[in-house]
Amino acid sequence: MIGSGSPVLFLFILTLAAGFFSLNVQRLAGYLRLGVADPRLDHPWARLKNVLVIAIAQRKILRDPVAGPMHAVIFWGFMVLTVGTVEILIQGIVPGFSVGLFLPHPIYVLYSGSQDLFAVLVAAAVAFAFFRRLVLHPRRLDGDHLAHTDALIILGLIGALMVTLLLSNGLLAVARPGEVGSEKVAAHAIGAAFAGVTAETAMSGARILWWSHVLIVLTFLNYLPYSKHLHVVTSLFNVFFSNTSGPGTRGAMRPMDLEAAAESFGAADVEQLSWKNLLDGYSCTECGRCTAACPANLTGKLLSPRKIIVNTRQRLMEKGPLVSGESMPFAARVLSMVHDEGSAVDSRSPSDIIDHHLLGDYISEEELWACTSCRACVQECPVAIDQLDVINQLRRYLVLSESRFPEEIQPAFESLERNGSPWAFSPADRGAWAEGMQIPTMAELAARGERPDVLFWVGCMGSFDDRAKKITIAFARILQACGIRFAILGQEEHCHGDPARRMGNEYLYQMLAKAAIATLDRYGVTTVVTSCPHCFHQIGNELPDLGGHYEVIHHSTYIERLLQEDRVPLRGEDGRRLTVAYHDSCYLGRYNEIYDAPREAIRRALPVVTVVDPPRSRDRGLCCGAGGGRMWMEETKGKRINAERTEELLATGADTIAVACPFCMTMMTDGVRAAGSDASVLDVAEVVAGQLSV
Amino acid sequence: MGHVLVYAESRGTDLRKIALEATTAARALADGSGGGEVQAIVFGPPGIEAVAPTLGRYGADVVVVVEAAGFDRYARESIAATVAARAASGYRAILAGFSAQGRDLGPRVAATLDLPIVADVTEIRVDGDALAVQHPGYANKVIVRLRVSGSGAVVTVRPSAFTPVETPRAGRVERMQPAADPGAERVHVNDVIQGVAGGPDLADAPVIISGGRGLKAPENFKLLEDLAGAFGNAAVGATRAVTDEGWRPHSDQVGQTGRQVSPQLYVAVGISGAIQHLAGMRTSRTIVAINKDKEAPIFKVADYGIVGDALEIVPVLTQAVREAKGR
Amino acid sequence: MKIAVCIKRTPDSESRFKIAPSGTGIDETGLKFDIDDFASYAVEVALRLNEKEGAGETVVLAVGPDALQETLRKAMSMGAERAIQLKCDSQPFDGLAVAKALAAELAGGGYDLVLFGKHAFDSSAGIVGTATATLLGIPCVTAVSQLEIAGGRGTARRDLEGVSELVTFSLPAAVTIDEGIARPRYPSLKGIMGAKKKPLEIKPAHLGAIRVVVSSMALPPERPAGRIIGEGPGAVPELVRLLQTEAKVL
Repeated sequence: MIGSGSPVLFLFILTLAAGFFSLNVQRLAGYLRLGVADPRLDHPWARLKNVLVIAIAQRKILRDPVAGPMHAVIFWGFMVLTVGTVEILIQGIVPGFSVGLFLPHPIYVLYSGSQDLFAVLVAAAVAFAFFRRLVLHPRRLDGDHLAHTDALIILGLIGALMVTLLLSNGLLAVARPGEVGSEKVAAHAIGAAFAGVTAETAMSGARILWWSHVLIVLTFLNYLPYSKHLHVVTSLFNVFFSNTSGPGTRGAMRPMDLEAAAESFGAADVEQLSWKNLLDGYSCTECGRCTAACPANLTGKLLSPRKIIVNTRQRLMEKGPLVSGESMPFAARVLSMVHDEGSAVDSRSPSDIIDHHLLGDYISEEELWACTSCRACVQECPVAIDQLDVINQLRRYLVLSESRFPEEIQPAFESLERNGSPWAFSPADRGAWAEGMQIPTMAELAARGERPDVLFWVGCMGSFDDRAKKITIAFARILQACGIRFAILGQEEHCHGDPARRMGNEYLYQMLAKAAIATLDRYGVTTVVTSCPHCFHQIGNELPDLGGHYEVIHHSTYIERLLQEDRVPLRGEDGRRLTVAYHDSCYLGRYNEIYDAPREAIRRALPVVTVVDPPRSRDRGLCCGAGGGRMWMEETKGKRINAERTEELLATGADTIAVACPFCMTMMTDGVRAAGSDASVLDVAEVVAGQLSV
Repeated sequence: MGHVLVYAESRGTDLRKIALEATTAARALADGSGGGEVQAIVFGPPGIEAVAPTLGRYGADVVVVVEAAGFDRYARESIAATVAARAASGYRAILAGFSAQGRDLGPRVAATLDLPIVADVTEIRVDGDALAVQHPGYANKVIVRLRVSGSGAVVTVRPSAFTPVETPRAGRVERMQPAADPGAERVHVNDVIQGVAGGPDLADAPVIISGGRGLKAPENFKLLEDLAGAFGNAAVGATRAVTDEGWRPHSDQVGQTGRQVSPQLYVAVGISGAIQHLAGMRTSRTIVAINKDKEAPIFKVADYGIVGDALEIVPVLTQAVREAKGR
Repeated sequence: MKIAVCIKRTPDSESRFKIAPSGTGIDETGLKFDIDDFASYAVEVALRLNEKEGAGETVVLAVGPDALQETLRKAMSMGAERAIQLKCDSQPFDGLAVAKALAAELAGGGYDLVLFGKHAFDSSAGIVGTATATLLGIPCVTAVSQLEIAGGRGTARRDLEGVSELVTFSLPAAVTIDEGIARPRYPSLKGIMGAKKKPLEIKPAHLGAIRVVVSSMALPPERPAGRIIGEGPGAVPELVRLLQTEAKVL
């Protein structure tokens, strides 16, 4: 081993570095305490599993076929090399220390060889990373006022670490060949290049490189709190504490206690976000996968999920010191050097800082309202950040505390309050679609002392929208053809409030949701089938937080089951050969992982069909643009999201677009018409109902 | 006692159609309550007296003429004071039209004389000592029958509910001095801006041609104006959707929050038939709808419907109406 | 400014109505009630006038039974500072009686401006505003779509029957409000919570004699179903024929 040559000096430096680092960690942890409490210790084993799969096994990182393996190599290399780094640091204080003292020799050889191998692999990956960032210049690494400075410093430091490690071992191999096992192949290869150097010179060189390596490690360590590379400290914790891949239901919005006598509701600044939101800010590496997947961003809207999180961190770094009374030394200088104009730490006075807010001064209302809540950003994030949670908390503040929202959604709020539907239709018309079909209502059955096997929750679109009513009728026909004993609520069905919730109006939502639960419980409903993924998600995943527990099945799953059990009377081959492009609904797909049932249902129903997937499918599916309350908002900037998606679907060459959601139906129908295409747009239920032999 | 006073609304030196409707209603009421007189009171600038024979033809026994230069417009406080002064002697009922003027005048007179008042009435009968009236309430969704007790009442009648009927009477002119100076109004009218030039107002027109989003562009309203011209006595209305967009003035909006109309014929062009709009015109005698979507809700309310492109159909209809009128 | 806004509690205008078993009223089961549409515009106008001035008080009043209190709280959640319920057993159909009760409360109250909705959805009569103003002896301007107050004088725009008028008047005055540029604000949760603590006085309503009562209510007869007579310009001759012969409007 090389060692420090002066353990006391080294210990002194190590203590300084470690001390400085731990002070900064404490300060950063202190800033987290500004945030609201948020218990995250439930289901520890499920959380640990997430850490193993998402963080350690790099599952989400590997979704990118190029950058994925590149980063995985660097990360796994980092884990492996950390053991070696600890060994090196101990060797600085305790000469002669070696991990080999505790390991059986063969294991030690494996360990030693791994250090050498991964140093080479990481160096190669870093070289590729430089090339990719500077020459290939991927789009998602740009934008949001982010500079490359930080990234280049980090890559440089990692590269330097690998080079100093390999060179020092290489020179050690020249100075004291016996100390460097043959398993260190690269070290020996490098050593061979210095074969002509004297042992003394080599040893001096090795020592200089050893000190360089260690000093770079300690500098890097202390650079972390000022850099996006902080994620190496926080990401495993972030994944552990994250709810975005479970435990519990994914995509359920954060419950809110409105009884609490709060000064304000929702979040306008970092103290009103939870500590987990703030930790998300620390863990963001600015990779841009989220923004690259965002349907709003890629059609020209201001919203960038990455910016939301980066702004959260920037604001915390700005306000944290003032509120906690503890600022980080050199913070202003380093941050402004390394993070372009994104941080205003240098230019604002304390009273300015207090007067400003995350909402309005960093994140604009326009960005927040552009979100369709499609969850693509959350899906992509490799460190399990929940960008949507921050957006929702800020929306809640706008609506509940200030009543500030796009004026076109006010009629939707008012109509929900008055008519139990986001559109101005009379509640008396709810069951009108069922005219002539002899479908019993829950009330009628209850009067006879009967109960159905399943309640068909129609939803507001399915009850009132002319196009969606056809989907409702199609599904009802299928249920009748299969002899299912079902009923509807008819005029007693009122919106459960999901649109209000998505638009930030938690008060209106809770009122409506509780009323829906009361109605369902009054009839003792246990099983619900619905043709709308928003209703499916709300009733199945969010009503439980308010005490409503029901088994909920989406109609595409229900139909697929019926088909599987051969219960649907279908016509035989009718000579049509359709090519169907299936559009994944966000609330069915990413939120609830239902991708196959609708496709299977189409395949089973149509004797001859080709089901094609557009390039962005399944959990990469592109949103239709109507979620997050955007169905009720005007889209004035950039390209229309539904136009973008329709283009992609039509480019598959399909003659039919299949959907499983009435919102998607509206958006795709409009999109197809605007594109001047005569492709038909059908719901899965309509595809199957069209094949009924009865 | 037993006489009926009717406010005969005028504009300048012309009578408005509502004046004849109200006079007809007054005549029927007077006849139905033991045959009292109908006394019409009319305000106007010099020359207004010329309308007296017309009022007589529609049933006025007496025409009280209040003439002053200041009455070339609606001098609300002076007119109300004068009507109240005249009515102080006691009438079975005081009638007016439920027009903009009538809505304003009725309550003033009722409050001054402490008389009960009912508005927007479509039927009036005598019921013993009381009056029984009918009024379409709740945006024309409920027929409300009211009983008005007491020895007098103010009643305003819904435009087009009472068809003017000629029942000639003497129409003897009496002159009256205004009880208050029209120049001393506490509400000063500084400016009057006429709406879309020409044509009868939506409240007066027996035929209304209305356009909605289906017309695609504001310029296409010209087609409706041509059709209105072909009818000769038609006004052009609009839905909320197009007035919100600024294609037509807000005062043209027919609907729940706009004008409520009840013409003989309502032609809805490119209008889907949202409930908000229907509330403004559903009591029209005959409704015609032209829309390219055969599932549009307007067809459920229309007596006659044509499915197709309004931009193609309206010009053809205009020509056909011109020919029909020419005969 | 001290502004009074007189509001009415009416059912949602989109509702389908049924007649109550008594036959003298509508069946209220399942109906949602709120501040009448034009009255909520009046509340909004009052709030904006006082916001512009920076100081002032907006007081909302209504005549009727206790169910009104929810409606008064709604107005307070929009921003009105206090409310007065003039209590009586049921909402009267006698517009003059309501005006008397309001005038009795408003007289001597020092109000600079008294606002009303142009007319209420249920009666569409537009009686109460003008009658109350007459009883109070103050000028009244009806159907106002834009209103500005400066130096004790008001300037208003009225749109009626195809004509726009610009009028001026001195305060104190009464104004009935039409739809204008300002949409009634949506109350924030903060406003709703705050409204619970604002003062709501209950006083008896001095209505005087009730001389207008409902004798019965009925639903209008169903319009006989119409028909689509054809497609495209080719159907025009048939339409003209029907208008001439059947409908007799041409």
